[in-house]
Amino acid sequence: MIIPETLFGIVIAAALCLTALAPILLLVLLVQDWKKGDLW
Amino acid sequence: MDVVNSAILDPMTGWVILAAFSALWIALGWYWGRHSQALDDYVLAGRRVGLALGTATAMATWVTSNTTMAAPQIALQMGIWGMLGYSLGAVGLFLFAPLAARIRRLMPTGYTSGDFIRLRYGHFAWRVFLVISLFYSLGWLVSMGMAGGILIHALTGIPYHYGMTVILGICVGYTLLGGFRAVIGTDFIQALLILSGVVVIAFLAIQHIGFDDIHRSIATERPELLNLLMPASIMFLFNNLLFGVGEIFHSNVWWSRAFSFREGVGFKAYTLAGLLWAPIPIVAGFIALAVPALSLNVPAADMVGPMVAAEILGTAGAVLVLIMVFSALSSSIDSLLAATSILVVEDIYRRHLRPNATSAQMRTASARIIVGLGILTWLLCAPRITTLAELLYFTGAFVASTIWPIAAGLFWRRANTLGAIAGMLLGSAAGLYSYFAIGFYVAALVGAAVSMSCVLIACWLQPAAYDWADLQEHHPQESGGTP
Repeated sequence: MIIPETLFGIVIAAALCLTALAPILLLVLLVQDWKKGDLW
Repeated sequence: MDVVNSAILDPMTGWVILAAFSALWIALGWYWGRHSQALDDYVLAGRRVGLALGTATAMATWVTSNTTMAAPQIALQMGIWGMLGYSLGAVGLFLFAPLAARIRRLMPTGYTSGDFIRLRYGHFAWRVFLVISLFYSLGWLVSMGMAGGILIHALTGIPYHYGMTVILGICVGYTLLGGFRAVIGTDFIQALLILSGVVVIAFLAIQHIGFDDIHRSIATERPELLNLLMPASIMFLFNNLLFGVGEIFHSNVWWSRAFSFREGVGFKAYTLAGLLWAPIPIVAGFIALAVPALSLNVPAADMVGPMVAAEILGTAGAVLVLIMVFSALSSSIDSLLAATSILVVEDIYRRHLRPNATSAQMRTASARIIVGLGILTWLLCAPRITTLAELLYFTGAFVASTIWPIAAGLFWRRANTLGAIAGMLLGSAAGLYSYFAIGFYVAALVGAAVSMSCVLIACWLQPAAYDWADLQEHHPQESGGTP
């Protein structure tokens, strides 16, 4: 049972989008912690 | 294929990049660690790490050389389920989130996972656990040291031993200078570099070859890689899940983070780290699936990742790969050096050799052990003996056998010493047997199943009535030692 191209594309695209958003999220959290004085 | 001749970066470019990033990590390590004189500051960053740095360090540490090297290799061997199976390594981070919160609450002054096993199950179980944990830590360090040498060699032509020496030397250097604060601070930058690098490479791969061509080539030349019913791959999927859970549950790398986070941060940090980590092996594995479309001849399975990247991305892409890989390796090696050193200091040096050691003596011992671990790892990496995946999965049986003793011990008063000891010993033995009798992809599965049976049967036959207050241990250096 071969995975269809569409489903394969959705899996890869979803993974790529999540990975692309991750650095932005980390920077936002960093700024929030820094403002609260909670970095470390 | 001669890798030196096929490397698309010349050695000089490679040395310049390695030197630049090495200087950066060392400088940051010195800067962040310049006030870390007290033991808790040096080994646990003062126990006040916030959500952003906590999430980044958990995520970056879990992105190891194996994510960048073995995930593409597994994708090429096991296809779509290999990629998804590798991605299930994130389940370990998710499941550890509630454990991290509980660890912080039950043991606010704890140092190591060994502390927990000793206080919860007694000295024999503790020593069994230490053997497993130290063996695993060393195996992980060696697999990454080797990966460093292999990757740098594949990308730049710099000889394996030089590359491996550089990556180990730099990590020892900045971990030594800055302690855990340096580890966590550099992990944040390394997390950004890794995530950005993976995304850029995958986008460039799709742009270079075309998504349709990649899928068509696999379907024509290696259709088994797209098979949703490939039995070995499905077995691998569950095995990898349990392997990841075992690695995270027992290893002091993750416990030391739980001890170092602010109150209330552990659960959120580990959950977010799991979410951010899960897609990375899929993206990295996808890059390897370009092999059929590129008609590449892959001489060694663990070379597939860097070979594909080098083939499709050219010089700029190769620079990016080198930076990303250097970051992935550093973020894991530094964490292991720091966490293993405090494990050795607390559980061997203080608990076995110097029970009255002061804070200052423990800090000095920790620094020396970081150097010692670096040297030992180098000696074990020097002869390149096995492929990365084999080395990695050899430890699967051991770590999976600790899942139930740890989880049950943290949440069930009834979990008892006999079940924990039997779980770790019999689980490891059964997992090892299945590793050699069946294959690497079932070792963790069998180890965890046998361990679970031992813990549950022992709980049922002879339930304990553990008092959680016994985990709140007084540390002599808290009152006596001066920094």
